[in-house]
Amino acid sequence: MEKLRSAFDFSDFPPLDLSIAGIVGVFLLVFPIFPHSAFAMATMIQFLMFSLYGMGWNTIGGYGGQVDLGKAQYVGIGAYTTAVLLIRWDIPFWFSMPLGVCFAVIWSFIIGYPLFRLKGHYFAIATIATSLVLMDLFGVWEFVGASRGLEISPIKYHPPDFWRLIFKEDIYYYYVILGFFFLGILYVNGFRKSCLGFQLRSIKDNEDVARSLGINVHWAKIKTYAIATAFVSMVGSFHACYIKNIEPEDTMSLDISILIALMAMLGGAGSLWGPIIGAAVLIPLKSYLKEWLGAAAGLAGIDLIIYAVIIMLISALEPRGIWGIVEKVRRRRQR
Amino acid sequence: MTLLDVQHLTKNFGGLSANQDISFALQRGELVGLIGPNGAGKTTLFNCISGLHAISSGKVVFDGEDITALKAHETARRGLARTFQIYSASGDLNVEENVMVGCFMRTRSTAKAKARAREILLELNLSDLGNALVSELPVSAQKRVTMATALGSGPKLLLLDEVAAGLNPNEIEEIMINIRHIHDDLGVTVMLIEHVMELVMNVSDRVMVLDYGRKIADGDPKRVAKDANVIKAYLGERFVREHGEVLT
Repeated sequence: MEKLRSAFDFSDFPPLDLSIAGIVGVFLLVFPIFPHSAFAMATMIQFLMFSLYGMGWNTIGGYGGQVDLGKAQYVGIGAYTTAVLLIRWDIPFWFSMPLGVCFAVIWSFIIGYPLFRLKGHYFAIATIATSLVLMDLFGVWEFVGASRGLEISPIKYHPPDFWRLIFKEDIYYYYVILGFFFLGILYVNGFRKSCLGFQLRSIKDNEDVARSLGINVHWAKIKTYAIATAFVSMVGSFHACYIKNIEPEDTMSLDISILIALMAMLGGAGSLWGPIIGAAVLIPLKSYLKEWLGAAAGLAGIDLIIYAVIIMLISALEPRGIWGIVEKVRRRRQR
Repeated sequence: MTLLDVQHLTKNFGGLSANQDISFALQRGELVGLIGPNGAGKTTLFNCISGLHAISSGKVVFDGEDITALKAHETARRGLARTFQIYSASGDLNVEENVMVGCFMRTRSTAKAKARAREILLELNLSDLGNALVSELPVSAQKRVTMATALGSGPKLLLLDEVAAGLNPNEIEEIMINIRHIHDDLGVTVMLIEHVMELVMNVSDRVMVLDYGRKIADGDPKRVAKDANVIKAYLGERFVREHGEVLT
């Protein structure tokens, strides 16, 4: 009960933040009513998906300070579980998604246990490695379509199919992911004030101090890693139904992992709004760059150049991202 | 009644012996000072007792239980709290939140942890700093916050590692009031590493001296201060030779 109340309690934010958040929330709710292009709609769905990825990453990476660059493997596990179960056994999304989360969490325990013996850059590199290994395994595994991947053909179903999450119009997908988005915010809001949330922030500060306060550092990290994984895997399952065509190369690539971490870091790692702000900046930028420059953007690798510049700017100027700058200005004003 | 019993504790780092065959016991309710020149192995001893370091040989018994093989978070859960000499708060948590982390050891409820943290801050006269970031505070306040955080975990024994180093006399006075409160009013057994003799001699019931990893004296503060071995450790052999007759 206390947990639930805590999730709905935003009272520690200043009124200005809450009013802006309220306006954005209402805008997201009514956005599809206004005339919009299919492209804008797709961008909005991408924005919501990546906000959720970022929120998940933010629990372990932001509050816990463990830079994880292997989140794409869990996108893959979620997406593949849902796609395989739907195609082979016609099991609907609302069953396959929790199952995908189970698989992803089990996998996160298996690799999290040894990986959290590592610290800092070594941990980050190891997460990249496990993610790439899993991508290659899926790329040769015939059962899941190897490198050709899987395709969910909507012809077999009768959209709108709410059980299987097969729709013709994007607006349905939009509201489903928007629901997840609001739940995600509530969850993270509760998480940051929970016992585990505080313990994690203490671990980020100083692990020895955390230990001396009775915190099992290794276990706390593994638990939070599993929470982050659950977020990512859920959205991965949604991704499978929404995109309908999944290949190891695009669901589990390093690009996705880096983009997920970058969302949260740009917006502000370790803050509730950070990943959303980050996604609101990066996703439209990415989509519209591709739209304007066409194939040339991919060829020139302009998006990669932009990511690299952003990473350098963050680390040089303000490690806590855009939200870090906001808080800094606020503290200065208070004095 | 014995709270902590350390038996023949030895800690080697490769060829270097940081603690050699140290034995002592702390009675419940005692306030013991631990002094010694730099590099004598005082902090290592704390690390060994609290389980941050695995000890090379010997035994540590806390509250009737053998805790030799336990890790730091397990000893903490049994009521052995400590502070650190160098405390680097990266600035993510404010003072109250820091203390709450300690309180979370005894409760999983955020509301209870918050209430307890406020009580502790009030008891240690830190209430008005609740919303400040730890990194923005002066060193003396930071040290007191670490004491409050350790206290949040509801310890039976509190190990304080140089809480008064580098402070001015007023700040030392404040720290002293806090330590006295923790010991006298809250009934926590305290062991403190300190270089500020004024503090150690003032508050301790008993003083232990380490030198080169060995225990060279243990007893009443006034007697220890006059002990030839202790003076030799601090001032060197030549001083004792030249001024020996003055000391005896």
